[in-house]
Amino acid sequence: MDSLIFYLLGSVLVFSSLRVVTHKNPVYGALYLACALVALAGVFFLLEAHFIAGVQLVVYAGAVIVLFVMVLMLFDLKADKQLWKISPFRWAAVAFVAGLTLGVTFLEGLLGSSFPRDLEFFSAKHIARLLFTKYVLAFEVLGVLLILIAVGIVALTRSDREDV
Amino acid sequence: MFSFSENLFLPVFLSGLIFFIGLFGVLVRRNVLVILMSLELMLNGVNLNILSFARIYGWEEGPVLVFFIMTLAAAAAGVGLALAVRVYKVFKVVEVTSFNNLRE
Repeated sequence: MDSLIFYLLGSVLVFSSLRVVTHKNPVYGALYLACALVALAGVFFLLEAHFIAGVQLVVYAGAVIVLFVMVLMLFDLKADKQLWKISPFRWAAVAFVAGLTLGVTFLEGLLGSSFPRDLEFFSAKHIARLLFTKYVLAFEVLGVLLILIAVGIVALTRSDREDV
Repeated sequence: MFSFSENLFLPVFLSGLIFFIGLFGVLVRRNVLVILMSLELMLNGVNLNILSFARIYGWEEGPVLVFFIMTLAAAAAGVGLALAVRVYKVFKVVEVTSFNNLRE
């Protein structure tokens, strides 16, 4: 049953991420991206990372997608006339990267077969304990970074002159 | 619960596939917004990979790392979109090639 759900979620995920990349209209791309991210949250849930699945839904499917759609509304976008026009050299790069990523993950998947563990460390409690003890500095730095970025974005988008 | 508990080949391979699809978008598309979306896909592929391996090897820092990556991805999307808005104001299009002409 779980494997059935996994196959279903996996195919939704792959299909919608392909559509994100291949759809001419970015608005539809954003919708497909939302779909992909929700499916990925489902996969996280199946992996028993319940907290991370929740965060995925809130942060990605909530915040990031809303951000994308808001910005899409600001632009007067036409659908792209041609999807891609790139040199053969770049196609070669794409093929190389395809071989590399798929090959490496294939091997990783084959080698990393493993042993069952107790999955207590996926719980919110355990993540919080690590976050507020061992990684408390990184956590604080992240907070500072977020403030910096918020200020930076405001500074970037507002214009001082009328013409720019 | 998850019946692939003896072998997590599928989630790992799925993560590679998502990463590749994202990378393909980044390399091939010209619209800045689509590139940013593909970037999000890549980061999600990475997250899935980290979580699968955290599960395989019982690596307790995995979920924490995923948490950090998610925050950073949201921040990166914000900055990228702000740049796209800025470029749109100047050129009225949002293509990567616009960035080449910013100096003028």
